[in-house]
Amino acid sequence: MITVSGSNFPWREGMTVADLLKEIDDSQPCAVVRINDTYVSQMNFENTVIPDDSEVFLIPMIAGG
Amino acid sequence: MPDFKLKEAKTLEYDRPAIEKGYTDQTLYVNISDSEITIKPVDAKTKETFIGGKGYDLWLLWNAVQPKTKWNDPENEICIAAGPLGGTPTYPGSGKSIVTTLSPTTATVIDSNVGGYFGPYIKFSGFDALEIQGKTAKDAVIFIDGIDQKIKIFETTGLPNNAYQLSAILTEHFAAGKPRSISVVSAGPGAKNTLIGCLNFTWYDVKRKRARYKQAGRGGIGTVFADKGIKALVVRWDTVTADTNNPADKAALKNVAKLHSREIVELDPKQNEMARIGTTHLVTIMNDHDLLPTHNFRYGQHREASNIGQQVYRRLFDPGFDGCWMGCTVACSHGVKDFVPLTGPYKGKKVFVDGPEYETVAGCGSNLGIFDPHTVVEINFYCDAYGLDTISVGTAIAFAMECFELGLITETHTGALSLNFGNRLSALELVHQMAKGEGFGQIVGQGVRKMKEIFAKDFGADPKIMRDIGMEAKGLEFSEYMTKESLAQQGGYGLALKGPQHDEAWLIFLDMVHNFMPTFEQKAEALHWFPMFRTWFGLCGLCKLPWNDIIPEDNKDTPEPAKVMKHVQWYADYFSAVTGRKATPDDLIEMSEKVYNFQRIFNLRMGFGRREQDAIPYRAVGPVTEDEYVSREERYDNQLAQIHKVDINGKSTAEKIAILRNFREQQYEKLKDAVYKRRGWTSDGIPSLDTVKRLGIDFEEVLDLLNAHGVSS
Repeated sequence: MITVSGSNFPWREGMTVADLLKEIDDSQPCAVVRINDTYVSQMNFENTVIPDDSEVFLIPMIAGG
Repeated sequence: MPDFKLKEAKTLEYDRPAIEKGYTDQTLYVNISDSEITIKPVDAKTKETFIGGKGYDLWLLWNAVQPKTKWNDPENEICIAAGPLGGTPTYPGSGKSIVTTLSPTTATVIDSNVGGYFGPYIKFSGFDALEIQGKTAKDAVIFIDGIDQKIKIFETTGLPNNAYQLSAILTEHFAAGKPRSISVVSAGPGAKNTLIGCLNFTWYDVKRKRARYKQAGRGGIGTVFADKGIKALVVRWDTVTADTNNPADKAALKNVAKLHSREIVELDPKQNEMARIGTTHLVTIMNDHDLLPTHNFRYGQHREASNIGQQVYRRLFDPGFDGCWMGCTVACSHGVKDFVPLTGPYKGKKVFVDGPEYETVAGCGSNLGIFDPHTVVEINFYCDAYGLDTISVGTAIAFAMECFELGLITETHTGALSLNFGNRLSALELVHQMAKGEGFGQIVGQGVRKMKEIFAKDFGADPKIMRDIGMEAKGLEFSEYMTKESLAQQGGYGLALKGPQHDEAWLIFLDMVHNFMPTFEQKAEALHWFPMFRTWFGLCGLCKLPWNDIIPEDNKDTPEPAKVMKHVQWYADYFSAVTGRKATPDDLIEMSEKVYNFQRIFNLRMGFGRREQDAIPYRAVGPVTEDEYVSREERYDNQLAQIHKVDINGKSTAEKIAILRNFREQQYEKLKDAVYKRRGWTSDGIPSLDTVKRLGIDFEEVLDLLNAHGVSS
């Protein structure tokens, strides 16, 4: 089990960030996620595997800066 | 503690007015040439037109200077104001001071937005704004005592130059046992000996029992302060509550403040963790997206970037509450405890360092080819202690390093300093030299624009290449984002009133990553709305971080998610609740439009503010050197072939650079056209007569100025 922005989500072996984003079907554009203390950008979504028990957060990068 | 003396030169006793709906309706004028202290009323028209904060500053400055006034003339002023919402302890990010002056590097108006307690305390002491004019040779301290209702000008001797020591001493001296009641503004020796000085504003950290610092960094405001002979400003105020601003509708304020504050407490840990790591999360994110400036903005990525990323600062920052204003739940002003510098006057001693933020990490780290977090912290520390702007210091040293690597300058010019990228000790040595006004650091401390002139005139360096790689516009050094692949952000920097600072518009992700604005018209719309809304924070005394760095979970379901309209509505409600002046989100934009256009006209009055001044160096637009092109060859080749339909077969890299440059420079000019049209400006970038009339800023002087520039219908 992992959490995504605080809510429980089922984990499976080999699940990547790209897999997760497809499954949660969030329409908000997401270019960055945080897995525990590590930030992962969109170009690495396909090859970043989410460990079990992770806390995953979808980081809104809109017009901050 | 040094043996110092404060000799009273002038004292004015006054009756502090009650705060009425966020306003005192008077401003404080101090002329340090002749120790004049005057209290001026604010009339209704000024209040309605300029709102407060930066708006008030600009109006006071406009009335104080002439078109030919230089930054170091006595009539130049430093204006500091909070704004009507400033000082609200229940609404996150409500403690900003806005500072304006004529800049030594841009020669026109500069404004800087800074945390700390000074602005709110000045207002609660009875003044919507403070304007300081004149010059003195006697090291002045101006003390505004809102509790005892006295304003004093002291002549001082024996006070230290270093901002940290100075603020600590003055906090203790004036606090009467309550250090939280004091806020100090000071500069430092670097501010005096360069043109890129900053101001340090303090807030008292009760838990750590020390004065903490935030900086009004951009454009050399600290240099003006030091040139005037001001050692420090000190304000003293009492307890602050939600009622201190005497809001028009206490219940409505309580409600909207609670909504926003609670949301941040709930969502910040799930999003950017600003209360834990500040803005350092941006380092690796920018690096991933080829947006982190490295080696004087040549590239946007480096394999060692994670060495100066959030995971390192997560460990270095001292945990605890770090709000630069009371009650702020963003609380992002982190610091490093027990840091031991390797160089300079604090070598080997434990110090507390306020920072670094993203801009300092990128400017004094990656952009110098330095990927050692301790060096970044040490440069941060000394810049603050010396009163130097870390952004301008970083961008200026980066330019000098590239000139050195290109052979445009040599060790003969640098005083034997080797200025290759990544040379940590040389970077630190330059900072120390800036503070002393000695050596090559004295030249770097003049900023990029003057360095280009000096290198060409005195060292025989090629002005053409320096024009392309010197990262300044309007005389201000770029802040720390790459813009080559975001036309909208090129406009965000190039069309910004004061020069290339990202506080008007940060559109890189919307434009480059999310592709939300593919057309010129969409980019122009963004370059209208975002600068206007961001300007509004400066009118009211607010920080913009709570607006769009923590996003509501239902934001994606709103009609305009990029604008975070739920929060914009909250801000309209907040303004209405405090001032009693009912406002909608559109009203906030119109408030800003008045001030924004007035500032553009102010630039025009000072000899700037036209299309030609909105130019940016080509390094901000595309690859200048063959190395840059080749490093992203596939990207650039594809753009030439697929977007611009160029047959690149058989073309040399130099030819491809020239063709790409032609396209990109044309695009930037087209963007200017679109933005000027959207803002209601002429094709030369001057607000039209219709625009100034619509906004109610058609004062006689404004109309005369427009007429003199051919804008009469």
